Amino acid sequence: MGEWAVLPAASHQKCLANAPAPATVRRDMMRTQQQIPIRARVLRFIPLVAILPFCLLGVVMAEPSVAGLSSGLEPGLKGQVLIEELNCVACHSGDASLATRSKKSPRLAEVGSRINPQYMEAFIGEPHRIKPGTTMPDMLSTMAGDEKRRVANSLTHFLLSLKPGNFSIQAPDTVAVVRGMRLFHSRGCAACHSPRDASAKELLANTSVPLGALDKKYSFKSLSDFLRQPHASRPSGRMPDLRLQGQDIDSITHYLLQDTRVPGGLSYTLYRGQVWEGLDSAKVTAERAGQVKDFALESLGRVEHHSAIQYAGWINVASQGSYTFFLKMNGGSLSVDGKIIIDQAPRDGRGIKDLQGSVDLAPGWRSIQLAYFHTGREPQLACEMAGPQMQRQPIPASMLAVSDQPIPVAEPFQVDPALAAVGREQFSSLGCASCHDDLRVPSKSRLALAQLDASRGCLSKDAGAWPRFDLNAQQLEWIRKALPDAGHLQLSDKQRLDKTLATFNCTACHERSGLGGIAPERNALFTGTQPGLGDQGRLPPPLTDVGAKLQPQWISEVLFHGKRQRQYLEVSMPQFGEANVGNLVELFGKVDELETVAIPEVANVKESKDAGCEMVGTSGLSCIACHEFNGRKSGELAAPDIARVSERLKKNWFNLYLRQPSRFHPTVIMPGYWPGGQSVRPNILGGDAAQQIEAIWIYLEGGAQAKKPAGLSRQSNELSVSDVTEVCRGHCPVGYRGIGVGYPSRISLAFDSDEMALRQLWKGEFANVDIGSFHPRGTDTFAFPQGIPFHRLKTLEDNWPYKGKTNYLFPQDQGYQFRGYHLDATRRPTFLYHYGDIAVEDFFEDVRDDKGNAYFKRTLTFDCPTEPVPFYFRAAAGKKISRRTEREFTIDQLQLRITSEHNGLLREGNLGEVLIPLTPPRGHSTLTLDYQW
Amino acid sequence: MVSSPYLMAVAAIAYTHLACSADDLGAMWGTAQEESNYYPIVSIPIPSAVPMMPGSFEILPDGRLAVGTRRGDIYFVRGAFDSPPNPQYHLFASGQDEIFALSWRDGAMTATTWGEVTRISDTDGDDVADRFDTLTNNWGYAEGHEFAFGSKHDAEGNIWVALGLSGSYASHNLLRGWAVKVTPDGKMLPVCSGLRSPAGVGPNSEGVMFAIESQGPWNGCCSLKHLKQGAFLGHPASYNWYPFVPGMTTPAVEPNSNSRMGLERKRVKELVPPAVCFPYIKMGRSISGFRLNQTGGKFGPFDNQLFLGDYTLSIIMRATTEQINGVWQGACYPFREGLATGIMNVEFSPKGQLIAGGFTTNSQWPVRGASPFAIQRIDWNGITPFEIREINIKKDGFLITFTKPLDRQVASKSDAYDIRTFTHIYQAGYGSPEVDQTSAEVTRVEASADGLSVYVQLKEIVGDHIHAFDLAKLTSTEGQHLVHSKAYYTVNEIPHN
Repeated sequence: MGEWAVLPAASHQKCLANAPAPATVRRDMMRTQQQIPIRARVLRFIPLVAILPFCLLGVVMAEPSVAGLSSGLEPGLKGQVLIEELNCVACHSGDASLATRSKKSPRLAEVGSRINPQYMEAFIGEPHRIKPGTTMPDMLSTMAGDEKRRVANSLTHFLLSLKPGNFSIQAPDTVAVVRGMRLFHSRGCAACHSPRDASAKELLANTSVPLGALDKKYSFKSLSDFLRQPHASRPSGRMPDLRLQGQDIDSITHYLLQDTRVPGGLSYTLYRGQVWEGLDSAKVTAERAGQVKDFALESLGRVEHHSAIQYAGWINVASQGSYTFFLKMNGGSLSVDGKIIIDQAPRDGRGIKDLQGSVDLAPGWRSIQLAYFHTGREPQLACEMAGPQMQRQPIPASMLAVSDQPIPVAEPFQVDPALAAVGREQFSSLGCASCHDDLRVPSKSRLALAQLDASRGCLSKDAGAWPRFDLNAQQLEWIRKALPDAGHLQLSDKQRLDKTLATFNCTACHERSGLGGIAPERNALFTGTQPGLGDQGRLPPPLTDVGAKLQPQWISEVLFHGKRQRQYLEVSMPQFGEANVGNLVELFGKVDELETVAIPEVANVKESKDAGCEMVGTSGLSCIACHEFNGRKSGELAAPDIARVSERLKKNWFNLYLRQPSRFHPTVIMPGYWPGGQSVRPNILGGDAAQQIEAIWIYLEGGAQAKKPAGLSRQSNELSVSDVTEVCRGHCPVGYRGIGVGYPSRISLAFDSDEMALRQLWKGEFANVDIGSFHPRGTDTFAFPQGIPFHRLKTLEDNWPYKGKTNYLFPQDQGYQFRGYHLDATRRPTFLYHYGDIAVEDFFEDVRDDKGNAYFKRTLTFDCPTEPVPFYFRAAAGKKISRRTEREFTIDQLQLRITSEHNGLLREGNLGEVLIPLTPPRGHSTLTLDYQW
Repeated sequence: MVSSPYLMAVAAIAYTHLACSADDLGAMWGTAQEESNYYPIVSIPIPSAVPMMPGSFEILPDGRLAVGTRRGDIYFVRGAFDSPPNPQYHLFASGQDEIFALSWRDGAMTATTWGEVTRISDTDGDDVADRFDTLTNNWGYAEGHEFAFGSKHDAEGNIWVALGLSGSYASHNLLRGWAVKVTPDGKMLPVCSGLRSPAGVGPNSEGVMFAIESQGPWNGCCSLKHLKQGAFLGHPASYNWYPFVPGMTTPAVEPNSNSRMGLERKRVKELVPPAVCFPYIKMGRSISGFRLNQTGGKFGPFDNQLFLGDYTLSIIMRATTEQINGVWQGACYPFREGLATGIMNVEFSPKGQLIAGGFTTNSQWPVRGASPFAIQRIDWNGITPFEIREINIKKDGFLITFTKPLDRQVASKSDAYDIRTFTHIYQAGYGSPEVDQTSAEVTRVEASADGLSVYVQLKEIVGDHIHAFDLAKLTSTEGQHLVHSKAYYTVNEIPHN
């Protein structure tokens, strides 16, 4: 036997075949259970804030965090960026354009629906402690504790009086949290905000735009509304619109608010798929999670067949004693107080079972976890209990809680009109209204920028009746240097461009020479769906010389209308708003210049166009090997579509790029086809590089109307069968180790050498064969489900094993080993494999019945060195299965006849199965069957 | 008529070329004409009816050439080594998955396909295969990029198989990213982890097994890696299979990204650095199959050296290896460019010719050579080229040997040796620029009396750096310049004495 010894590893493997390993389910539950107290301990932070808003909370103070200051922007401009980002012009007048460029404060008209009132009050009082790095100044810095608290409170009453708020929090969906974590890091959020580890701890807080404690600030609705339309409340576009799909926004919101705690009865997670493989199987998907009041299935809405629900929570036990739990279900497990008291594997082949288990419980909160499988015939769930002074009854919601610690209920905020009036006055007198100028509250005007003394007021260390920004020394120095000219700034085009790119943090995602690019510690966050494209397949394109590269219309499309070319990048191209970055289109064009290439005259346009088509196709430079063409791709790569290249690229840049791609990307994948000016295709247009490049351009200018280049559609490669049998192997509908066999009687089969199983039958044409793959042609296809041929079922309820995505050692761990095949005189294969120490030969003959219809006669030969333990052979499986005799079965269109001295039995279930019990004798024996369809 | 716009265009091209000539990626070596004076390329015709995409070669005991194809066929070819070639193709076996290795032993052809190692034999004497005995198919194979390349039989009759990752970044199926050894009785023994997208597998002159690795994540450039038992070869995606390998445990430490191979070798004790690095583009972009030259001088002055094909650039390179302080390292040298197609594999014929073949495809990489498929032969015409034969490291410098005597006057000047060093970022991202550049200071030069070698002493050998040699100033006693003036030595270890 040549199997690779695998035993030590087998214990790491869940036996997928035999339904959910209870250990797996338990492990997940334990995890949930452990998380609750930890979170309760660590994240009690904001309830404290509500109670003691102005106490020191041990949060580090930080200077205002302004994205882009870490870019390579010339230091002289950094002060200007700060003046604009801190909106100095709101108090200190400058020229009109400064006001336009400066970052406006969040609009507050609807803030009552957006922000948790408790957070609002705490933040107004101590902005730099509640959200380190915020650009909002502390306006109350000179007030004593009591006064500060009163003012913050009345300001909150004022803001909540503006519009009736409907702020309310909801429990996070932990399934969406997992998805949201991936999206947060891949879609671009983490380019500016800090990436986080698995426990949501910020990893790069010092170099990121701060978020603060979002779960204390937002509700699910208010944060997802904000992410859908960030510019509605923050019109200056520093927080861009990522143009994400609704579901993605919801997932990111759940992720950011994963620490929100809401009272409830039970947490649940709903799974779908082949749940009997275990809930961590690749064929099982967690669909959603949340909280419900009790175990009643109805509260989950519609539950589809082949679902599983994992409930976790705490049960409040009133008195000491033995409690019995009663479950009605097809399969699942129940553990109470850490003990498994019921454990029943799900079986699709039967209905529900009445199960019960008992446990001694002491009074107090006890953990309870129920894994329920919505499987089998007429699935249902009932969960009852009985105990001391408790008659048997469904577990009432009043006894259940998602946590053994109390979770405070948020009291609705009641606006006091008198306090709101005071707050309105303070909003004006303190200067809040200068920045938050959308409420039509009068604001005071102060000294013009040009008249300011840079050593006093906000720019001094002194406390006083001015906003306090907590600027650091470097920031102060930048601002002081910039201040004299800030009100009437004269900048070159390049300076204006650089300042805009820095302000909007474009270089967090795009390299631009002189300004910087993706920080090394963030580089790995950028991912793509086309790994074959290398770095270009995952990193946003560089902006170096982009004005010399792209047509201005295309830059506008990308910046303002969300057009994008590189669908394989996972990161979004954010929208900052035309009002905010509209100047970029013109500035790129003015600033970016490259040398001009002389374009040759084309004497014969048609000849040139044809040559261009030839070069783009497979007989030329094979551009389409990597690039899409008019939305079609010839290969597996999908580099940018070249058919519309003239709509996007400037011709001059196209010339420069083709001549030397590596000049523009140091790790470019695209080869240079004119190395040293010499064409690698000397036979086209006389090998003249300039004429060749011009020809490609002229051809591609045809856009969607351009003639299709050679090689765009893959040629079919039919393998037809004449008088001998044909075999082909490789990737096919039954897997990667498929073997297709086409027989002269025009019937064919596909055998899976991974599982040693007959998987498909068809009639007529055999197959199209490509390199490493084949695809069955023909008609009357009959497909069998995955699964090994032989197995020792413990009971007839057990599921039939097959290779899932993660039972890596299957089926070798069941004793199987494929051994190849040999061909007979007409080249018909006999498949060879081992099942334990039984050597199996599996031979299919194409024969005809008396009406001339072709069918397969299958002969299984067993060579047993000893008499084996009995096992079953699954001869067929499928839907619409019926039994005519012990040797004749019908599976949909397929007739199965056992022609040797063996009987089959029919096993019903989601998929019906014909099982033949076998006890082959020592030595040589055979089993024969006919498959006709 | 040459119009003036045309001249301007030429000038513009010349300008861009000059502007970036220091690092002109993608440029050809420009040596094809000179190479052809010693190593002419001969094409072996393929009839149009034969769907030939060669992926592997073998020489049969009766002197025929065997060709395994991507389509899964094996052809036996008579007359391929004749001058001119007069090939007759015979289809021996068909219907297999893609075949990237063939090895004949004991009357049967062993093929490594993507899914398994198969012993293919003809039992009824009609010269057509009728038995396909699977030695093993126990590695995971469930995704499109999960390549498998195999070796010839080693001295014990094992086939070594290098299993590519599931794509570039992940290992989704059993042992993807590992090298395994398949014994004659079909046992599959895992050897080492950490491969990314390996290609050719084979021994050096001392019978030690190596595999080609491709540039990409955790690989700054293509390289030749030593398949050392128990080693980790650089890409940590395949760590997940250690629990499935009896007798091996997961390395305690994972390599850090954005680091250097030299630093991480100190942290991860299982990490074995690439033996020979091939600077990207300058020395190949997608190196494929390779073969040891044991022709006993029939192929010129490069006996016991490795010859490697490159798919994208349609070139052949040479490499030499030596073991220093227990670690393999060595150098690579340009050899021949201008082949007709993407080179997938190479083989030496009994006459000492180098067979090189492959294909292009419209579904994967673009290729410099234009032919959709080709089998070519590089013949040595008996004239010795003036070449760097080999570079060996010494305690404080390098011994460079040549194929012909040097002009010792030129060779004794230290400024004739332009030696620069660099390394790559060892990182999870794709590939790497060349970084940490230094220029080596030559402190002493000593040419041997016969002029065939020169010892170049350096002020410092930079550990863990590739040393790039440019010896364009050297001339032979006949006044010739080197056919290829460049070579690249990968320093993993510096000899203690």
